Amino acid sequence: MAKGQFGHVLVPVASDADAESTAEALADHLDADRVTVVHVVEKAGGAPDKAGVEQREEAAAEAFERFEEAYGESVETDIVYDTDVADGLLTAAAEVGADALAFTPRGGGWFERLLSGSVTRQLLDETDRPVVVLPGGDQ
Amino acid sequence: MSDEELAKDLGPFAALTIGVGTMIGAGIFVLPRQAITDAGSFAVVSFVLGGVIALFTAFSASELGTAMPKSGGAYYYVNRALGPFFGSIAGWSNWLGLAFASAFYMVGFGRYIQNIIGVTGSLELGIISIAWVKIIGLFGAALFTFVNYVGAKETGKLQNVIVAILVVILAAFTILGTTQANVANLPAATGYGPMFATTGLIFVSYLGFVQITSVAEEIKEPGKNLPRAIIGSVVIVTVIYALVLIVMSAAVEPGFIAALSEQQIAVVEVGRLIFWPLGTALLIGGLLATASSANASILASSRINFAMGRDRIVTPDLNEIHDRYGTPYKSIAITGGLILVFILLANVETLSTLSSVLHLVIYALLNVALIVMREADVPEYEPSYTVPLYPFTPIVGAIVSLALIYFIDPRVIAIGAGFVVFAGLWYLFYARSRTTRSGVLGDWIRSRSDELPDAAVSAAASVEPDANDYRVMVPLANPNTERDLIKLGGAIAKHHGGTLHAVHIVTVPDQTDLQYAKEHLGEFDGDTAGVLEQARLDAEEFEVPIETHTVISHRGFEEVFDAATTHEADTVVMGWGGNSHGSPGRIESAYDEVMQRLPCDFIVMKDRGFDPSRVLVPTAGGPDSELSAAVARILRDAYDSEVTLLHVADDETEGREFLDEWAEANGLPDATLRVETGDVEAAIERAARDATLLSIGATEQGLLSRLVSDSLTMDVIDDLDCTVLLTETAHDRSLRDRLFGSR
Repeated sequence: MAKGQFGHVLVPVASDADAESTAEALADHLDADRVTVVHVVEKAGGAPDKAGVEQREEAAAEAFERFEEAYGESVETDIVYDTDVADGLLTAAAEVGADALAFTPRGGGWFERLLSGSVTRQLLDETDRPVVVLPGGDQ
Repeated sequence: MSDEELAKDLGPFAALTIGVGTMIGAGIFVLPRQAITDAGSFAVVSFVLGGVIALFTAFSASELGTAMPKSGGAYYYVNRALGPFFGSIAGWSNWLGLAFASAFYMVGFGRYIQNIIGVTGSLELGIISIAWVKIIGLFGAALFTFVNYVGAKETGKLQNVIVAILVVILAAFTILGTTQANVANLPAATGYGPMFATTGLIFVSYLGFVQITSVAEEIKEPGKNLPRAIIGSVVIVTVIYALVLIVMSAAVEPGFIAALSEQQIAVVEVGRLIFWPLGTALLIGGLLATASSANASILASSRINFAMGRDRIVTPDLNEIHDRYGTPYKSIAITGGLILVFILLANVETLSTLSSVLHLVIYALLNVALIVMREADVPEYEPSYTVPLYPFTPIVGAIVSLALIYFIDPRVIAIGAGFVVFAGLWYLFYARSRTTRSGVLGDWIRSRSDELPDAAVSAAASVEPDANDYRVMVPLANPNTERDLIKLGGAIAKHHGGTLHAVHIVTVPDQTDLQYAKEHLGEFDGDTAGVLEQARLDAEEFEVPIETHTVISHRGFEEVFDAATTHEADTVVMGWGGNSHGSPGRIESAYDEVMQRLPCDFIVMKDRGFDPSRVLVPTAGGPDSELSAAVARILRDAYDSEVTLLHVADDETEGREFLDEWAEANGLPDATLRVETGDVEAAIERAARDATLLSIGATEQGLLSRLVSDSLTMDVIDDLDCTVLLTETAHDRSLRDRLFGSR
C-alpha cells in the first residue's frame, strides 16, 4: 500500500502510550518531511487545573521522548495550553503552518465523552486542513 | 498571548477563592457549638486569635511564594530552604494534614446531609456499628475523590460560585442576626485556658491559605496576586468568622447553644430562629462549604505529592498522569483511601485537631524557612513581596504556631508527633538514598564549617542526601565558551548518572557592598540570567539534569574553589583563556594560596571549538594523566572519539611496554598507541596536528601554575590549534575510584 505524503504534519499526543502507538502508525502510513508533535495541556480557565502545569509538562516531555523512540528520528515538539484540546490543536496547526493533522483516535466510552466530549469528533468537525486518522488507536 | 500567560490563568479573584473556599467550609459550619459551649463569649476571641496566628504565617508564605512560584507550595519552600529531612516532614505533614482535614470536612458534610434527610443513630452490622454521619461522610469522600480522579474541569469553576454563595449567605446571617442581637445575651467568658484550647480546636478553620501556594505556578502575576490572595483570604475569613460568632452568641438567649445536641448544627439552629428560610439556606451553604473544602484539599494534596515525587521523597510513580483523564490518579486514589480510613477511625475532634497540629508544624517550618532564605543570602532568592517587620514577623509566626500546639489535646499531639517522627525516619531509611537535592541551610552550614560548632556541622551532614549524586560544577563567565563547557561537563555528569551545577560567578569591585550588588545585579553583570538560562537549555538538549546558581563575590577565580566546596562538586569543568575568570594577574596572585589543596578534580578547557572526534592523550604516568585518560574514555563512550595515546621515552621498546600496560590499566586498550623519543614538546606538537582535542594531565606542579608560568606545557598549548583540556586530580583524594568510577 502506498504511503500518504505530506510536507509538514502536526501530530497530537495525549500520553506516553498514545505517543508510542501514534508514532508507530505514523511511520507505517505516512511520509512526512517534517513532523511537529504537540501535547495540549488542558487548562481549567480560571480555576485550579486537575494536575499541576509543571506535572503536565513533565508528562509531555516523557510522551515526546517515547514518540521519538518509536518513530526512530527526532521531531519538533510543542506544548500548547488551551481550555479546549481540539481548539488548541487547530491553533497550533495554523501557527506552525502544518499541511495536515494526523492522529490515532483515542476512543473512549460514553463516560469519557460525557466528561470531555470527543476530541476526534470536534477535530473532524472544525478542521481547516486535511486530517489523517491513523489506525492503531485504542479501538 | 505567550505560553507563559496561557499556562498562568488564575486571576486574583480565583486565587482568593481557593483560600476562602478551603477555609470557610470547615470551622464556621461545624465547630461553633463546641466553641461557644467551651469558651463562652471568648469563642469570638478564639476565632480572631486563630486568624492572627494564621496571618503571621500568611506573610511568610506570601514572601516565599513570590520568590518560588512552584508546584507543591509549602513543602517546596521547606525542602529548598531547610533540606530534604525537614522537607520530608513538611511534605508528609502537609499531605496527611490535608487528608485529616478532608476527613473532618466530610464528617461535617455527613452531618449536614443527616440534618436534611433526618436519619439519626447508627447502622448496625452485626457486631459493628457505624454512625450514619460517618457512612454519609464515607460516601461523600468517595464521591469527591472520584470527581478529582476523573478531573471534571467544571468543578473548579463551580468553586468560585460556591464561595460567592457562601459569602452572601453568611452576610445575610450577620445582617439579619444583628437586628435581633442583644449584648445581654452574650454568654459569660470561661477564661483564658478554655479560650486557648478552643483556638486549638477551631484552628482547622484556617488551614486553607497555604493551599494557594500549592497552585502558585498557575497564578497570573504571582508577585502581585499571590500575597493579595493569601493575606486577603485570611483577613476576609477572620472577619467573617468573628461577625458570625458575635451574632450567633448575641442573637439567641444564653444557654440556647449549649443546650443543642451534638447532632444539631448551631449555625443552622440559630439561623432558623432568626428567620426560618435562613436556616435552610445555611443548611445548603454548609453542604456546599464542606464539599468545596474537601474538594480543594484533595486537589492540593496531589500537588504536594507531585513535588515530593519529583524530589524522590516518595516514589515518582505516584505522579503518573491518567491516560484519559489527565489527572494524577494514583496520588488522588491513595489520598482518597487515607481519607476513608481516617473517617472510620477517628472522631470529629481528633480529625480537626490532628490536621491542625500537622499544619502548625508546617507553619513553624515555613517561618524558619523564610529566615534561612534571608540569612543565607541566596542570590536567586528575589521575592517581590517581603514580610513586614522582618525578622520579628517570622520569628513570632514560628513561636505562636508551635505554642498553639501546646493547647491541643495531648493524645492528639502524641499522634501528630508520631507522624513527624515517621516522616523523619522515612527520610533517613527511604528517601535519603534517593533524593539528591540538599537545602540552602545545609549549603550554608557547609560553607561555614570552620566557624560553626562541630556538632552543628556533623548534625547537618548526617541528614544530607546520600543518593548517587555525582556533581560536575561548571563555572560560567564567558558566553562564547559556555556551550562547550556544558557539553564536556554534561558528558562527564551523564557518565556518572549525576547532575551538572552551572555556577555564574559575578565579580564586583572590593569597595562594593555584596548586599548592594545582590540587589543591583544588573549594574555589575548584564546577563546573569541569560548565561544560566542558556546553560539550562543546552543541558536539556544533552539530557543532563542541571541546577544553576549565582555567586556574587569580590574575588573571581578563588570563588570557584569555594563554590566547588559548597556545592560538593566531584569535578569542576572550567574555561581558561581570554577573560574567563578575572584578569590573569588575579589568577597569579590567587594561585599560591589555593593550589595547595584542590577540593576536587579539575578540568580546565582552552577552548578552540569542541570537537571530540580525535582525542590525543600524552602521558608519562601519574594520577593527573590517569584523569586525562578517564576524560578521553568518557568522550569515547559519548562521542565515539578515536583516542590516541602518546608517550615520549628514551628507549622505544621500554616506552611501548609502558604504554601498552598503561592503556590497558586505564581502560583504553583500543586506543592507537604512539611512542616517540626525543623532545617532549615537539613530540606533542607533532602528534597534536592530527588531533581535534588534547587531554593532558598536569604533573608535579599544580595545574594552574601552568596557566601562568612559562612551563613546558604552557608553550605547547599556545602553539596548538586544537582545544586543550588540562586535568588535575583532587590533592587530598586517594580513593580515585570514587571519582572516575569503575572501568
